[in-house]
Amino acid sequence: MRLTLWLLLLVAPLCNATTLLVKDEQGHPLPRVMVTQSPVTQPEADLSDDGYAPDGVTNTSAPVVTRFTDAAGQVSFETPGNQVTYRARAQGYVDANFPAIEGELVLQRMTPEQEIASYPSNVWLSQLDFGGDEGLKKTFQLNCAFCHQQASPFMRNERTEEQWLSVIERMNTYGARLPTDDHQKVATLLREEYRRLREHPETVPAPRQWEDHLSAVQITEWPIGDGFSQMHDFLLHPNGYIYIGDNLFDRIYELDPATGKYTVYKVPHDEDMGLGGIMGNRFKVFPKMYNYMGVHSFAYSKADGNIFITPSMQQALLEFDIKTKKFITHYMPEGYYPHTIRVDDKDRVWFTLALSSQVAMFDRSKKSFTVYDLPARGVKEWLILKTLPVMFSISPENRPQPDPDREGTGLPMPYGIDITPDGIVWVARLYANDLARIDPDSGEITMIDFPFQGPRRLRADADGNLWIVAFQDSLLVKYAPASGEFSSYKLPVINEVPYALNVDRERGVVWVNGNQSDTILAFDIASEQWQVYPMPRQRFFTRDIEISEEDGAVYTTNSHFPTWQSEGGVPTLLRITPLAE
Amino acid sequence: MRSIALLPGLYCALAAAAEPGWLYYGGDQGGRHYSQATQIDRSNVADIEVAWVFRSGDMASYGDAMDNTSTQSTPILLPEAAGESLVYCTPFNRVIALDPASGQQRWSFDPQIDRRGDRPFRCRGVSYAEETRTPAGAACRHRLYMSTHDRRLWAIDAVSGKPCGGFGDGGKVQLFGAEGLVPGEVSNSSAPVVAGGVVVTGSTVIDFARAHTPRGTVMAFDSFDGRPLWQFDPLSGHANSGSANVWAPMSVDVEHGLLYLPTSAASPDYYGADRPGAGLYANSVVALDLHSGELRWHFQHVRHDLWDYDTPAQPILFEWRKNGQAIPALAQLTKQGFVFVFNRLTGKPLWEITEQPVPPSQIPGEQAALTQPKPIAPPQLLNPFLMPSDAWGLTPWDRGNCARQIASLQNLGLFTPTSEKLTMMFPGSLGGPNWGGGALLGDSGVLLVNVNNVAFTGQLIPTPKETNPDSRKQDHPAAGHRMQVTMEGTPYNIEIGSLQSPLGIPCNPPPWGKLVAVDLVKGTIAWETALGSVHEMGPVTAPFHIEWGTPNLGGGIATAGGLFFIGATMDRQIRAFDVRNGETLWQYTLPVDAAATPMTYSYRGKQYVVINAGGHHMFQRGMGDYLYAFALPD
Repeated sequence: MRLTLWLLLLVAPLCNATTLLVKDEQGHPLPRVMVTQSPVTQPEADLSDDGYAPDGVTNTSAPVVTRFTDAAGQVSFETPGNQVTYRARAQGYVDANFPAIEGELVLQRMTPEQEIASYPSNVWLSQLDFGGDEGLKKTFQLNCAFCHQQASPFMRNERTEEQWLSVIERMNTYGARLPTDDHQKVATLLREEYRRLREHPETVPAPRQWEDHLSAVQITEWPIGDGFSQMHDFLLHPNGYIYIGDNLFDRIYELDPATGKYTVYKVPHDEDMGLGGIMGNRFKVFPKMYNYMGVHSFAYSKADGNIFITPSMQQALLEFDIKTKKFITHYMPEGYYPHTIRVDDKDRVWFTLALSSQVAMFDRSKKSFTVYDLPARGVKEWLILKTLPVMFSISPENRPQPDPDREGTGLPMPYGIDITPDGIVWVARLYANDLARIDPDSGEITMIDFPFQGPRRLRADADGNLWIVAFQDSLLVKYAPASGEFSSYKLPVINEVPYALNVDRERGVVWVNGNQSDTILAFDIASEQWQVYPMPRQRFFTRDIEISEEDGAVYTTNSHFPTWQSEGGVPTLLRITPLAE
Repeated sequence: MRSIALLPGLYCALAAAAEPGWLYYGGDQGGRHYSQATQIDRSNVADIEVAWVFRSGDMASYGDAMDNTSTQSTPILLPEAAGESLVYCTPFNRVIALDPASGQQRWSFDPQIDRRGDRPFRCRGVSYAEETRTPAGAACRHRLYMSTHDRRLWAIDAVSGKPCGGFGDGGKVQLFGAEGLVPGEVSNSSAPVVAGGVVVTGSTVIDFARAHTPRGTVMAFDSFDGRPLWQFDPLSGHANSGSANVWAPMSVDVEHGLLYLPTSAASPDYYGADRPGAGLYANSVVALDLHSGELRWHFQHVRHDLWDYDTPAQPILFEWRKNGQAIPALAQLTKQGFVFVFNRLTGKPLWEITEQPVPPSQIPGEQAALTQPKPIAPPQLLNPFLMPSDAWGLTPWDRGNCARQIASLQNLGLFTPTSEKLTMMFPGSLGGPNWGGGALLGDSGVLLVNVNNVAFTGQLIPTPKETNPDSRKQDHPAAGHRMQVTMEGTPYNIEIGSLQSPLGIPCNPPPWGKLVAVDLVKGTIAWETALGSVHEMGPVTAPFHIEWGTPNLGGGIATAGGLFFIGATMDRQIRAFDVRNGETLWQYTLPVDAAATPMTYSYRGKQYVVINAGGHHMFQRGMGDYLYAFALPD
């Protein structure tokens, strides 16, 4: 089915396309202009469950398609079957909105003020130096830039110190761990340094310029959900469907990318369970929330195709039967915050337990869990981790708030996980800056210091190397287990805080999330060269990447939190596909 | 000798000619609320005392009807050629001319307004112009214009107070059409604008009670004969709505022939499913050609309003001086607590305006705007985010109660749409700033603004079968009360009230009213201080002032003497602040609250500060009909 679709996509421009020529005000053709075709309205949908699709309902998401002008300033689109509208966007030019692709379009230059204001978060963030305290800036980015673009227009608007303190304290109740001792310092510096930037915007560097390779790709987005929901991780399944988790509404969407039809499966929960599960409802002010389970990360079994999902708000593992489309909940005896998940070739399900510094293995054949304790970094951390069950026995409303320090003592946080071709399980601990190697046969755990800061998610390539993002160090890092050597690669955009990555093992490309720069970044392993792909919406925050082995199409989701701060105010699944060789 | 003897007289004449007056509602036609008067200054303001008191007689004449009034009038001082009277209007649109030195009445004019309907009576002021098409010396060469509660635009002779017969029909023009006056629907409160032979009037429309309310059409007439010149409907092209009227004072740049309209929300205030889109030109500042009414530029500060965030204040016209440049500028205060600054000729922002993503609505069919504009500077004048940990109370008990209330609210900060769940509205429809506007300190670019700082909560209630007939009367909830307002033609009523503890104390930390000095050019807040004492707000009046700030309505004025005078608070005070730091230098206890903007003038060598003190029924405060004048002792 996929091959047929590809052929259709490749020949479609030849048979039923219209072409637009984009020029500047001097009449010169403008290359690298992003032209986005959006449906005027989305198809009628059943959203009768408090504004969301009920369980089992199939709705349709009409795709939003983005292409780029070529060197001659031209871009073509197939004539759509539905009513659409277009937006042309180019760096340094004012957006143009128009109803149809025909003839010529002239884009107006932005004023210098408009242009600087249009820059993405990362270049603004690059100019915050936190009074020269590099460690404080990294701490700030680690704790404050994993949900939001920190220097977006929304965030960089000036606030008083009291207002910043209020924001920081609220965010720490949501899950950030900005050290208490740093609250006042950060509030003061944000006030001072955003003031300085506002008064001297000319100091903000221009973002990386878009490049000619963009005219060779098409970006397709499927909007699903609304401004309160959040697409977190997702999965390309061999059955051709894409399974996307709505982290805040306990739903998974089974999307057919060929038709845009998606069926909704609502994750069940026990009747006596409260909102937010055992974590409690941290987002009390959110008007809409339905996260009793907290759908987080996805992996499928190569044995039967069933999908395993980590429910962050529970001591459990979810299994989605791909045939019956029913959920099975496997309860665990211990562990807190099931996070990232993988299934190995022996059909064992591995996932990190982020809060309790553990890794769990679910043996499907025995239907039993084995939990591996990762070592504490000291006595204090050991004590904190050991008292977690006591803490969680207290009701969420009365549970003491943590008092974090810069080292994240008590919170080493095993985060990303992957399995190298030799079957070894690898885990990155975000706050501890180390890697865990778990031999699944012996259960032996070996800890390896990570020489950079913020190992968040990691993936193995075909050669057994690990690729790891160093979040607050703004690096892509390779670890070669065979030699024990680390290699680091600067990202092609400044002050990015990379969240996750994936490896196209077939083509030898590492794809990295660029969640502060509205980009996704591609690193060719052989040539060590980067290509940068701009996202079609501003404040496009991505946390997961999947790659189609067949055609190399790259998928990600826009999971800015909250979604309503993202341009368009709706989560989207996004795919980048080559238009032609 | 003779020449020497003449010198004192010459000096007095020159001094009189140069004496600062107050010819317009807002001090000048650009609403700067500023006077060059310097006789009263920081060094002697503590010595000023009551010079005279005038009572309009409304309390005796209108009795219980006063409970439905709001005394908001600021007098103007007429030039010598126009009789040199101090003129103001009462809530029932009686125009009264006084001797500026003694407060003795010279004349009065009563238009005998139609008082049917239940909308509050207000009159913020009258406008003066010399009509050069009338022969010098003839009646109505000097005119006063007033738009009345019952929708008539009057022109009266400034010297005698008699209607100008050649204007419209016997001195008045009807502002309603063939449908006639519908009491309670549309009225007028602010003074019209008169410039260049054109008189322009806005209107007050009941914009919350129905989905389809009358249009807020702005009308211009020939100031000589009342002939209609042009009209501007801010909602042109929008069928499923009404209002977007201009109830706050307008400004005019005579030199450039530009009129600036502060437009209000489209109807109904809190439900917009039937009026999709941004709703231009509601919630905007709109620049029109004064003579043709053609649109020159606009800026919409709230798109698809769901919060009653009318543009509440007179656009302030000033010279923006920065880096050796002087740009004709306009500053617009909003209820949200923003100050937007523009080149007033082009509408180009002088501070970058960013698009802030804002939360969506949960109401079926309601398409809230995805983003709302926010200036990068100056900072917002209040902090609109309130968390349970911010709860305030006198005791742990009421603080805890407030924390629980706040935790239960739907609250995503500014621009959270109301829903069927109780929602934080901070600021509420009272603002932030409101119609009192701001006062500019001369050419310094520093603006002094009185700000409300009290959170409301609101909730959409599926329309009940029966509705309290009194529920349509109010624009804002009375202190301590929740009000339910109908929105006929929608599936909902809206219920609004202040967020307060069981003790009746606001749940947010004080100050609950404040005075903020904003440096428009630097884009910073220079200082801020509490405005008002709460000692009279409890069930029992405290014997001492508690300066935690109070909700406030009315504005303030700045003087070249380094002072800022303001009433506005719920403590019956008029105060003088040091403009350098917000220190209170003088205050006086009036018989009732002064919910009006003061004015000042110098007359025969003496500077007076005058304020209208009529109380405020909406705040459940005492009522009165006083006009107080203060001056230094002889």
